[in-house]
Amino acid sequence: MAQDNLNRDQATARIRAAVTQDLLSGRISLLLGWQKGLFWWRSRPLFARSQQDLERLVWDSFCAVNLSRYLPEELSIEERVGILVKGCDARAFHRLLQDRMLDRERVLLYGLPCPGMLDYRLLAEAGVKEAEQMLEEGEELVIQTGGGEERRPRTDFLLEKCRLCSHPDPVVYDQLLLPPGEPRMDPASRFQDLEARERPTPAERYAYWSGELQRCLSCYACRQVCPACSCRECFAEQQEPRWLGKGAGLNENMLFHIIRVYHGAGRCIECGECQRACPVGIPLLELSRRLAKDIEELYGPYEAGMDPEAPPPLLTYRPEDPAAFPEK
Amino acid sequence: MSEALKGKGADNGGTAAGVGGSRSSGSGNGAWQPLIVAFCCNWCSYAGGDLAGTSRLSYPANVRVIRVTCSSRVNPLHVMRAFQRGADGVLIAGCHPGDCHYTSGNYHARRRFSIFARLLEHAGLEPERFQVRWISSSEGDRFAEVMQEMTETIKALGPNERWVDPRWLKIT
Amino acid sequence: MIRYIQESRLEELFRILSRRGPLYLPLAEGPSLSFRPWSEGAPVDLKTVNSTVSAKEIFLPREEAYFCYRRAGRELALEPLEQEAANAVAFGLRACDLRGLEMLDRVFKDQDPPDGLYLRRREQTAIVALACAEPAPYCFCSLFGIDPARAGGADLQAWWHGEGLCLKALTAAGEELLSSAGELLHEGPAGAEEPPRVETGNFGLKLEGLPAGLRERFDDPVWEELYRSCLGCGACTYICPTCYCFDLEDFGHQEKGERYRCWDSCMFREFTLMAGGHNPRPTRKERVRNRFLHKLQYYPERYGEIACTGCGRCLRSCPVDLNIVQVIRALGGESR
Repeated sequence: MAQDNLNRDQATARIRAAVTQDLLSGRISLLLGWQKGLFWWRSRPLFARSQQDLERLVWDSFCAVNLSRYLPEELSIEERVGILVKGCDARAFHRLLQDRMLDRERVLLYGLPCPGMLDYRLLAEAGVKEAEQMLEEGEELVIQTGGGEERRPRTDFLLEKCRLCSHPDPVVYDQLLLPPGEPRMDPASRFQDLEARERPTPAERYAYWSGELQRCLSCYACRQVCPACSCRECFAEQQEPRWLGKGAGLNENMLFHIIRVYHGAGRCIECGECQRACPVGIPLLELSRRLAKDIEELYGPYEAGMDPEAPPPLLTYRPEDPAAFPEK
Repeated sequence: MSEALKGKGADNGGTAAGVGGSRSSGSGNGAWQPLIVAFCCNWCSYAGGDLAGTSRLSYPANVRVIRVTCSSRVNPLHVMRAFQRGADGVLIAGCHPGDCHYTSGNYHARRRFSIFARLLEHAGLEPERFQVRWISSSEGDRFAEVMQEMTETIKALGPNERWVDPRWLKIT
Repeated sequence: MIRYIQESRLEELFRILSRRGPLYLPLAEGPSLSFRPWSEGAPVDLKTVNSTVSAKEIFLPREEAYFCYRRAGRELALEPLEQEAANAVAFGLRACDLRGLEMLDRVFKDQDPPDGLYLRRREQTAIVALACAEPAPYCFCSLFGIDPARAGGADLQAWWHGEGLCLKALTAAGEELLSSAGELLHEGPAGAEEPPRVETGNFGLKLEGLPAGLRERFDDPVWEELYRSCLGCGACTYICPTCYCFDLEDFGHQEKGERYRCWDSCMFREFTLMAGGHNPRPTRKERVRNRFLHKLQYYPERYGEIACTGCGRCLRSCPVDLNIVQVIRALGGESR
């Protein structure tokens, strides 16, 4: 990952310089970026309107929050919005664009090729509790613990969604602020890990998913954070007809997730925010990815959010399509 | 929808003994009978069902037909609701590809329900419980055959346990 | 009296305690930890500080059905639903959980009439508090005068000592629990009279000026900034020990059904949506403001205490790092 020549502080300074210009000149009235969170291992959204706000801007290994999700609402207030986009954020932008949730001309995209964001849980498991215990050196992390110093590949500590990312470089941008990087995952083979995790019988599959979903709180964090979920009235809130109650029983949890994943089928950009946002750690990304794999098997290679002109597979058809059921 | 699942149904009760909610096997008649909900498109498969009737072909009363305008009208939420309410199997029957009364409805249905079937499988439903079939209006025999086959398949699988919400039985 | 049990024999203790009714323990569910009914072999975790979802769900469950109704003509018959067994034991609650329960008590128990469902669980559940040996990075309960090692309102106080747990009875119910375990428990070891004192950090927060200082700040521009990153999910409300909003819903129709209570969240748009379409909290700004004013002004004005226990769960669970520490800081509650 070519962050070799540009360490974090330099990168942040370069980004800040590029966006300051546009903000001060009025080319944009708002910049969506990240600032430091409460802890060293979290960064959170920054809504910058002034040079003073921009002083809090950071670009580091914890900028996981997908900012595109805030665009439709901010565009209802601001005339023109600038946004820092990683690979996944850029695909989210295309998702929103294709769903007619925003105007391309009113958004200024600053592309940031992404080295992948780190997972604090994995760092803590390796003994890293303080920022000083960890040093990033290109593709490696140098970790200091009670047991001494250790060099580990950075990829050992990525969020799962980043480990599986096949497009870390933004697919769309107005300015690319950092050098492009190396791909982490070949899109054509991105589902291989799912094959290794097959559960062969229906009973095993049900046991797994009911086991994971029974702890769902029905907080809807997964839905709120998802760039593909933009319905004004979600089916979960519909009263006529009423599909779901607000209680979090297992059957209702499963219904919610099955239908949510289904509504995202062929539209999901595999950003994994759903999984990251879940307060109880349900592996939601896997279910969406399994479906994305099925769609590719049946209807050809397709990655949502890459080409805004390419219609999502479930919104179109070919007369000679195969089916997943006997048609004889 | 509620009528079809109240155990009264519009059928002539041919094999009526025990037909009803699949959980109600305890109430006096012994053997459990599967409950299958079949969404049939008006122009092809439902007409095929009518033809089966006028040809005096019988098919099991376990199948409750719900007529829809087109196979693509069926919402996956309807399928989930059927399972919640005690259906042991759900079938969607539409026109053969190329013959849709609305030209392309069943093309959409083919993609959408292929993917939905896969999703239900991932979530742990036995694949035979959710099926999609193309049946034309002239295929009365095929209609009966498909319903017969599905009933037998579901009988062999037993009552469905996925996503059943027993509260529904208390209120129907 | 202080008794002691080795960690390796805890399963036997759980077996005994679970004979009288449901035994709630922090159980691992994937990376998450919640208080759930124990069963043989369940993955108990009494070390991690703290549970992902607070212990409030033992007393205010995520969902509880409480009566059936049936209409016959003009008559409406109501039939209470049998509630699950009482005489429960809740084992492993932290001091922040206990403080949260105090706050819920004021709302549900110390009212006339009290909330019967909550009251029953509260009265019939014996509580074994567990001292925190050391705080987690997001803990700040000391700011609210909570001692992580000493929970107020428990029947038994437990703390780790060496390879086992010390158990000290604080009430008659606690004594009874200890006696029920009989031979399984030993004399408390010498020198282990009390759990060691523990103190958390406080993120440099100061609470002077709350709630009075908020009265004039309903229209303060600070709310414009604070709400922006909020996603509008309900994660913070559901895991919070002092949140207690609920919805009453019916499963059924005109003729027959059952009524249940379930968690609800003021962060949802539908929370204040009225028939006819009016919504007094139409955007996330009003909802975020409401949530934090409730915690920092409305609840303390009514009940005399800020509705936060410093448990840190919102710091951990919010996907965009919006939490009460950020809010108090933004409101000027930080000592520089």
